[in-house]
Amino acid sequence: MAKFLEYQGKEWLAKAGIPVPKGRSASSPEEAQQAAEWIGKSVAVKGQVQAGGRGKAGIVKLVETSSEASAAAAEILVKTVKGLPVRQVLIEEKLAIKKEYYCSFVINNARDARCPMLMFSSEGGMDIESVPEELIFKMNIDPIFGLQIYDAIDFCVRAGIPNKELSKFASFLTKLSQVYKKYDCQTLEINPFVMTEDGSLICADCKMEIDNSSVGRHPEFGIKIARDLPGEVTELDMIGWSIEETDARGTGFLMNMGYDEVSPGYIGYHPIGGGSAMMGLDALNQVGLKPANYADTSGNPVGSKIYRVAKSVLSQPNIDGYLLGGFMMANQEQWHHANAIVKVLWEELPKKPGLPCVLLLCGNREDESMEILRKGLAELMTSDGIGKRIEIYGKEHVTDTKFIGQRLLALAKEYRAEKDAQGK
Amino acid sequence: MLEIKEKSITISIDTNKCDTCETKACAAACKKYARGLLQIVDGKPSVEHLSAEEVLRLGTECLACEIACKFEGNKALTINIPIAGLDVYLTKRGLQ
Ligand code: SF4
Repeated sequence: MAKFLEYQGKEWLAKAGIPVPKGRSASSPEEAQQAAEWIGKSVAVKGQVQAGGRGKAGIVKLVETSSEASAAAAEILVKTVKGLPVRQVLIEEKLAIKKEYYCSFVINNARDARCPMLMFSSEGGMDIESVPEELIFKMNIDPIFGLQIYDAIDFCVRAGIPNKELSKFASFLTKLSQVYKKYDCQTLEINPFVMTEDGSLICADCKMEIDNSSVGRHPEFGIKIARDLPGEVTELDMIGWSIEETDARGTGFLMNMGYDEVSPGYIGYHPIGGGSAMMGLDALNQVGLKPANYADTSGNPVGSKIYRVAKSVLSQPNIDGYLLGGFMMANQEQWHHANAIVKVLWEELPKKPGLPCVLLLCGNREDESMEILRKGLAELMTSDGIGKRIEIYGKEHVTDTKFIGQRLLALAKEYRAEKDAQGK
Repeated sequence: MLEIKEKSITISIDTNKCDTCETKACAAACKKYARGLLQIVDGKPSVEHLSAEEVLRLGTECLACEIACKFEGNKALTINIPIAGLDVYLTKRGLQ
């Protein structure tokens, strides 16, 4: 899912006519001060990061003056929450809150539903997980006709909204459901939305996640990569995205996994398929190695796509090894992988002589693939050759994560020791 | 030099080296792993029997011809596969 930060989500809500507090984002204390002056009253300074529990992490502060806003921003902008640096703060008016509510629109994947679902609770402002089940009200929404006002009124009655407020709440929820549909959201969570002292309903927070597949329909969002990334977009993510963006011939997925390019113990990781990827992670975890990236070449991609992924994985600086992890019996013709890997290793190993490369391939056309690998890499794999740490495995080790992990670890240790001895 | 453009790659063949090639492994590999685009005409690989559009439509970018030529032929064939952004990535890290 393409995820928006709170301030971005609120901008889109405002554009769709949904009430949000007066505010704007800032990336420096000076900007924060200017924003607070523009608002002209007490403000909330909220760190913008894709992580929950911001209050507990100390990146939400309420202040009275613009110079306090500046100081709060300075404090928040140097923090890191769950490994993510806070690069922006949202400065917005402090609301006079009468009561807080929760609502979210999500996809109900249940077999008999498969449609959007509205969840609502009058216990807003806290983790929804900590709200008792009987206080959370749910309703499936017709995916074609959307939430109708009469259904919203019924729902609000069920949720205990007083009669005189029914039309206000029903209208608010209906408008939000229209936004959910208009922006092709996968999740739209407002926690809390608040009733102010003067009786208005306003979105005090916003978590908006857009369906990746719909990003092409929304150039207005300016989303560079329609993917679930663990952190900020890196150069490797951009390279990975360019491999996939306009080439639908099988999967050639590549993304960074928080790799810092300096620390030892990272492995260029190239599994084939999702299940295989999990087993490969087991193999690495069992021996204390870490994946520098997540890749996937499955769905019978063409050789050039496999080459692009493998070449990018092997190009990562300072990796201690490369794992081609075909831990499943693949239906796709494996000889395309074999041809691509031979080409890549001939090009890349001269730059990383002795790099451990554990190649596990099995499934359709395995015998031919093994022959391509063995023949194609034989000259590199001599005892003093640049491919002396290439090891090739087939079906005999198809689910043997322990063995593959241990081989990789042994080779990586050797390689690291050799590099240390050379002072590299 | 023969240049064949597929959707995202360029195949370059130094056909001067092909006359003495006994295996013509590129064409055999093309037939085995893909759709047999490469044919041997007068001792050299050729796609002249196809239009440029047909090459684009039928080409599967399997890379088999390069590997076959490298290990069984006369090392006449190379494939260029551009990767957007990789050069910049490597240059920034002093790895180019
Ligand atoms: S295998 Fe290589 S050298 Fe032989 S004909 Fe084909 S391209 Fe020419």
